[in-house]
This record gives sequence, structure tokens and C-alpha cells, in this order.
Amino acid sequence: MTVAALLRPRGLAARNVARRHPRRIAVLTLAVAALWIACFAISIRMIRYFHTIGDFGPALTDRLLILIFGVFLGILVLSATIAALQTFYLASDVALLLAAPVGFRRLHHARFIETLVASSWMVVIFGLPVFLAYGWVYGARPLYYAGLVAVLGSFVVIPTALGVLAATALVLVFPARGARDTLAVSVGFLLAAAITMGRMLQPERLAHESGLMGFAGFLAGFGSRGSPYWPTTWAAETLVPLLGARDGEPGFNLALLTSTAAMLIAVSATVVERVYLKAWSKAQVGRVRAGETERPLGRWLAWLAAPLPRLARLLVVKDLTVFIRDASQWSQLLLLGAVVAIYVFNFRALPIDGDGALAQGMRDMATVLNLGLGAFVTIAVAVRFVFPMVSIEGRSWWILRTAPVSLQRIWRTKFWMGFAPLSVFAVCLVVLTNHMLSVPAVPAAIIAALLVALVAAIVAMGLAFGAVHPKLDTGNAAQIATGFGAMIYMAAALGLTFVVVALAAWPFARLLHAGRYALPLSATEASAVVACVTLAVAAIVVATVVARRHAIGALARLG
Amino acid sequence: MIVLERLRKTFGPLVAVDDLDFAIEAGTVFGFLGRNGAGKTTTIRMMMGLLEPTSGTVRLGGHDIATAPDAAKRVTGYLPDRPHLYDKLTGLEYLTFVGGLFDLRRREAKRRALALLDDMRLATQGGELVETFSHGMKQRLALAGAMMHRPRILVLDEPMVGLDPEGARELKARIAGLAADGVTIFLSTHSLAVAEEVCGRIGIIDRGRLVALGSLDDLRARARTAAGAESDGRTLEDVFLDILNAEAPA
Repeated sequence: MTVAALLRPRGLAARNVARRHPRRIAVLTLAVAALWIACFAISIRMIRYFHTIGDFGPALTDRLLILIFGVFLGILVLSATIAALQTFYLASDVALLLAAPVGFRRLHHARFIETLVASSWMVVIFGLPVFLAYGWVYGARPLYYAGLVAVLGSFVVIPTALGVLAATALVLVFPARGARDTLAVSVGFLLAAAITMGRMLQPERLAHESGLMGFAGFLAGFGSRGSPYWPTTWAAETLVPLLGARDGEPGFNLALLTSTAAMLIAVSATVVERVYLKAWSKAQVGRVRAGETERPLGRWLAWLAAPLPRLARLLVVKDLTVFIRDASQWSQLLLLGAVVAIYVFNFRALPIDGDGALAQGMRDMATVLNLGLGAFVTIAVAVRFVFPMVSIEGRSWWILRTAPVSLQRIWRTKFWMGFAPLSVFAVCLVVLTNHMLSVPAVPAAIIAALLVALVAAIVAMGLAFGAVHPKLDTGNAAQIATGFGAMIYMAAALGLTFVVVALAAWPFARLLHAGRYALPLSATEASAVVACVTLAVAAIVVATVVARRHAIGALARLG
Repeated sequence: MIVLERLRKTFGPLVAVDDLDFAIEAGTVFGFLGRNGAGKTTTIRMMMGLLEPTSGTVRLGGHDIATAPDAAKRVTGYLPDRPHLYDKLTGLEYLTFVGGLFDLRRREAKRRALALLDDMRLATQGGELVETFSHGMKQRLALAGAMMHRPRILVLDEPMVGLDPEGARELKARIAGLAADGVTIFLSTHSLAVAEEVCGRIGIIDRGRLVALGSLDDLRARARTAAGAESDGRTLEDVFLDILNAEAPA
């Protein structure tokens, strides 16, 4: 059996999905294209600025490239290790291949390519606009683009090989599931830390010349040239001369890169060939017993959930037990922490100090937008925790469905499991930030009340879209939250938020203005305020009711 | 105890189940036989309220599954052909959870769960995560779940798949014991030997239609007539094939 034949099932599966859901593919393509174009535009702006600095420019270009390749290398090694754990040691079809007359070396090559694609496609797609922007700004010749293909092709092989070797070593030492869970949590932590740090650096300052100068200063202080032993340096040293920015030895550096990649493939294949059966056998030994520390926790959960109605209690204890035992879901919490930190930081960073008219106006605008932003953060959380609620039941859905529990009760229980924590979360966020904005008590209370209603609709919509677009074959909430259904859920929930904020903006601005200057509202204005708020509430109620109906219908169709 | 009236299910132009109409008395072990794709699982899914019929009704213990689903499910236990369970729960936690769904108090649920785990030879694995269970162990655990609320009707879809010989023998004995206690068993199976051994009544479904219904002796007599065969010692397998061949389109 050839390597191509081993990869064929993946290709056929992708083709079949594309054929069955052409509209889904079209929407995803458009979304990726929009992001890609945005990356391209931002990259052009930044590189063009460096390009205009004069003699200092090429040095900055070098360092920026090394920095980009360095970041890519770090991300790729981590993601390749996780992907390799899955494709080499945890995938269900490995047993089928092991039973077939397929040599370990061929198996390695097929799984290596799968790992490479699974771990690198996103970095390559979103890295490509940066490198193309370099070519665009420097007016590079075709040789640069040919060199770029060769560099990227070789570069992604290196972290993939390192990832395969790391995964194999981890499996030989630890159980595969434990290693994957630990890595997933570590990646979640690193990602959350990176996002938070990225925000704290206030990237909006790059919109100003002074900010870009500061970033240039940072790059200038980023050491001299990279170490000659790192593939990041070889990649940058290949591309910079091809851009025409300065002289160099692109051929030599490309040779270093490709030969290292080839050598690492050979090492990876040899190691895997020798130890694969042993490592795979060890990977099959999962965690057997619920941990000693989990049993008292189970009792605590039962005690904490005791005041809830029977079905809610059962489902809450069951879902939390599963959550605690599934470390892959913990990374969600870390990302949630990052989102909250960024949200609060955004309000601290707003230029709204002082009593001037501009500062007052900014505060009023921020207060109104706070409703939308609070809803936006809640949607980001809901897509991770509410949208997967139906899918997470997975193939075990029959257990609930054949119990004497109506779909309406199941929906109601799931709704409250999402609504109760999310409304508390959203209200805390908005109350805290409104306090930072010194919003008077009455408008702050109205905003909080409207947000609670909006959260109800967001949760109802999450359940509806989750039931209409279930992913029953994966128990991984993170994967469920990245599918097509999650994307259109976010779009729909954001659409509703936009409508509500648009309807509520003028009444709130008017109320805040009237309160500040003690100007009473005219009868017409008061009527208009009431009408707008009523329409906003009506939009929320309609969305909730329609979502509930669709959710229950979809749950019934789930079987 | 189980009544199907003109039960029909279509998927577009495909008629999966075509006007099934029969009743099963209390305490009967009813064998539901048919080729792959004949409509057995579709029928069972409609019986359990997992699939909406195109037309017709199902009554379990006198309760219509469409209009009184909670009451119907309360008297029925179900074992699906592929019992997917909650992998991250332990066996004991799973059974206690299922008991709760059927309104058992926690203490009572735990007591029954421990007894059933013992019955199913899973007592030592009760504290282990379900994801570590073999297929046969999951099958036994799912069966224990179906029996947690002591149902008057048990619907078993291919319950022997994945069981070791000891487990299969125990299950057959259990089925006989439950029937003797008045529990009605609806047993879908590919194993004609099992049906022959434990079923008092048998229905054969072919391309969605019920083509034979009766005791094994009734079916033997019918097959004899249809095929012109003479021997009395025919197995259920012979009878099954005779009936299906007689029903096959020319």
C-alpha cells in the first residue's frame, strides 16, 4: 500500500464534505479571504513604514522576519506535537492500518503528512500574506516567490518532525491521553497569556507613526542577527537577499534549511519505525479509575447542586463531572480569563479622564457600547460553553431521549445551565466597567437589565444553533466551537446584538445627557425612548422564542 | 403490553417500515427478525420515541409513545444496538444518573446500581471510567441501565453483539427469568439460534413489512406449506430462509 493510498481516505472525506455542503465551504472561504486580505493590508502598512526608514530599514526587515519565523516555529512545534499525538497514537483508524500489511515507515510518512497539514495549514495561510506583503513592498522578482515556496515548504517540515519525535517520546513516558491533555492545557495557557500580553502592548498604537517608531525601536533592540544554528535565521537569510534588501547567500541558507528538514524526516521515520508498536501499545492504556481527588469533588458537586430541580441537578452534576475529567476543556477557561482581562483593560485604556465635553461624550458612547461589548464577550463565551451543550451529549443522546423527560424540560434545563452563569458573568463585567466609567445608577441598572435579557436570547440561540448543527462524533468542546454552525451562530447573535444596541443607543445617550444636565425629557422624547427600548426588548423576545422552537424541533430530529 | 398499529416510516421515496400492525402480550419474549436493513432498528427507534413515525401509533403498557411519552418510557427499558454511554463517568455514576432520570432517589439508585453491577459481573469495574470498558462490558452496563427502573417492558436491539459466551448465556437466562416475572421482552436479533432458544413468539420483517408472525411452530407450519417441505425437524434458520425466499419478488 502506497503513502498516497494511505492518505486517500482523508482526501476523499474532505471532498465529500465539500460536495455535500457547498454553501458552507463558500461562506468559510469568504471569511478566510476577508481575514487574509486584512492581514495582507496591515502587513503592507507595517513593512512599507520600515521600508521608508532608509538604511535602518533592511536591518529591521531582517529582525522582523526572524521574529515572525521564531513565533511560527514555537507555535508549530507545539501544535505539531499535539497533532502527532492524535494522528500517530490516538486516531481510531490506526488499528485498521496496523492490521493491514503496511510497513511502519510508510505509516510514518502518511501520518507525517497528515500531521504537517493539520498543524501548519493555519500558520501558512495567515503567514503567507505577510511574506507576500514583503514581496509587494520591495517589488520582488519571481525568484523571491519561488524561494518563498521552497523556504515555507522546508520550514514547516522541521517543527513537524520535532513534534512527531516529541509526541513519540511523551507517549513512551506518559499515557497518550494524559500527555495530550497536559499539552492542550499548556497551549491554552500560552495562548491566553499571549493574547493578554498582546493586548497589554496596545497594538492600536501602531496606527500612529509614533507607535510604529516604538515597535521599530523594539525590533532594533532584538539582538543582532539570529543565531546561525537556527532554522529561523536560515529562512530569513534566504528571503531577505531575494527581496533585494541586501546581499547574502540565499542558496546556501536554503540548502541548510532543506537538508535539515530532510535529515529530520529521516530521523523521525527511523525512530518511529523502531519504537512505533511499543509506543502505540502504551498509548492504548488510558486512565482507568476516576482519580482519588475526584471522588470527594463528585460529592461536593452533588451537594452544591442539591437545591436545583431534579433534572437540572442530574445534568449539572453529570456535565461538571465530565468537564472536570476532560482536561481538553480546561483550556477554554484559560481563554475565557484572557477575554475578561482584555475587556476590563480596554476600558482602563480609554482616554476618558477629565470633565471636558469630549471626555463626557466618550464616556456616554462607551456606556452605550458597553451593552454591545458585554454581549459580544458573552457570545464569545457562549460559543465555547452553550453552543456545544447539545453536541457534547454526543452519541449518548439516546439516554436522555429514552428517559421519561420531555424535550421541553431538557431544553429548559440546558437553558438555565447556560443562562444562570452567563448572566451573572455578563452583569459582573458590565457593572464593573460601568463603575469605571462612573455611569449613574439608573442607566447602569437599565443596561444591566437589558443585557440580562440579551443573554437569554444569546443562550437560546446557542442551544438552537448547537442543536441544528450538532457535531455528535467529537466530545471535544473546543472542536465543536470551531465548526460552521458555531460561526453562523456567532454571526446571528452579533446581528441581534447590533439591532438591540442600535435601538438602545439613542435612548441611553439621551437619558445620560438629560441626567447630567438635569434637563427633563419632552413628552415626545420620552415616548420615543420608551418605543425604542420596547422594540429592543421585543427583538430579544422574538429571537428567544424562535430559537427555543427551532431548538426543540432540532432536538426531536436528533432522535 | 406492546401494540403497534399501522406503523409506517418513509424517508423520501424509501419505505423503511410499512404498516406494521401487531400486539405482544405481557410476559412474552418476542423475537423480531429480519435481514440487515429490513427495518428492525427503525421500528425500535419509533417504538422508543427516538424517531417520529410517518403514520401509525405505538402503545407501550397502554401509553401512546406520541401522546404520553413520559408514561410510556417510564414502563420501558431500552438497550440500543450501539450503546454509546458517557465515557467520562464511572459505571456506578452512569447507573446512578440513569436511576435519577427515572425518578429514583439517590440512595435507592445507588443500591440498585451496585446490585446490577454485581449481577452483570461488573462489580470490580464499577469505579472505572466507561471509556476503558470493552464493548461487551459497555453492553452489559447499558443493559443494567435499562433495568435500573425495573421496567415492565424491555426493548433490546441486538443485545448479544459483543457478549462473550458466558455473558450471552447469562443474558438468555435473565431474559427467561424476566419473562417469567411478567416482563415483556421485545428482542431484535440476527442470531436465529438465540431467537429459537428464548422467544415464545417471533415476527419476521422484510423490506419494512411484517411477513410472518407467530410461535416457532406456527412459522414451521407456514414454511412447510409455502415450500412444500416435509420435515418437522426444521430449524428457525430453515424456516426464516424459506419465508424470506417465498416473499422475495420474482
